[in-house]
Amino acid sequence: MIDIKKLEKRTVQSFFDDGLTEIAAGLMFLILGGYFILQLSTAGSTAGSIVSSVFLIVFFVSFFLVNRLLRFFKRHVSYPRTGYVAFKKKEASPKRRVATAVVAGIISAALVILFRISPSVKLLFPAVNGLLFAFAALLLAHRVGVTRFYVLSAASAAIGVGLAAAGIGDLKGLGFFYLLFGAVILFAGLAALIVYLGRNPRPAPDAQGGPDAR
Amino acid sequence: MPADARGLADLDRLIHEPARLALTAILNVVDSADFLYLQRETGLTKGNLSSHLAKLEEAGYVAIEKTYRGRIPLTLVHLTDKGAAAYKAYRARFKEFLSRA
Repeated sequence: MIDIKKLEKRTVQSFFDDGLTEIAAGLMFLILGGYFILQLSTAGSTAGSIVSSVFLIVFFVSFFLVNRLLRFFKRHVSYPRTGYVAFKKKEASPKRRVATAVVAGIISAALVILFRISPSVKLLFPAVNGLLFAFAALLLAHRVGVTRFYVLSAASAAIGVGLAAAGIGDLKGLGFFYLLFGAVILFAGLAALIVYLGRNPRPAPDAQGGPDAR
Repeated sequence: MPADARGLADLDRLIHEPARLALTAILNVVDSADFLYLQRETGLTKGNLSSHLAKLEEAGYVAIEKTYRGRIPLTLVHLTDKGAAAYKAYRARFKEFLSRA
């Protein structure tokens, strides 16, 4: 008897087998962490104001480049080994979009209010980030059933709360959070990739084409 | 024929076969997949996979596109609207049958 649900879940899981998504996400976090540290070290200078004003450019350019890199490696590393698969792009329902916007609004408003009440709340920024990413990783882990995402969730919470508890808050704490968590994700992705490459040697070219015998 | 058994007999036999059920379940989750991916995920041999895909294609449940990635031949498979509807109906019927059994 085939367990359809298990099979469907396994199919979604297969996207993460090669660890490339984590490597890409890790790189993105490292870039953002580096950016925050650069912003801090140039604060107050002309270079600092330039660095501050290009956040969106840095974000979108790195996102674009990392995405291109991910596609390149999927095409040259994963597809020849375990086959090509394209997943359906799910459009978020209007209800879900509204819910996401409401939650984001509530979190932002709570942070602004807290900051007004006590500016020292900035020290909690790494903890807030850590817990948010921990929650996101937990949701993903639950949805796709990849165990290492539970570990990443715990790591995010631990790093964020740890940095806040150590008093490294504000931009510096945020920078360190992104650098440390980025390194953890990158390491997890590389470990997954090594296992994947060991388990899936590149097959002979004639094995990839498919049923020419059809 | 008892009502329960009739429910089982009403199932789409084309999808009910384990290998084809696995194929449609996978294709229902993805947009498209190539022959190598399907072969690895289902554990079927090349010949078996070809034969099951041919049956599904004949019924209009899947569409098979033969293309090339560089110089390597690539066979892309995706579930058609008819196939997706048949799979959805199969799941609903089977669930209903199990709940009555």
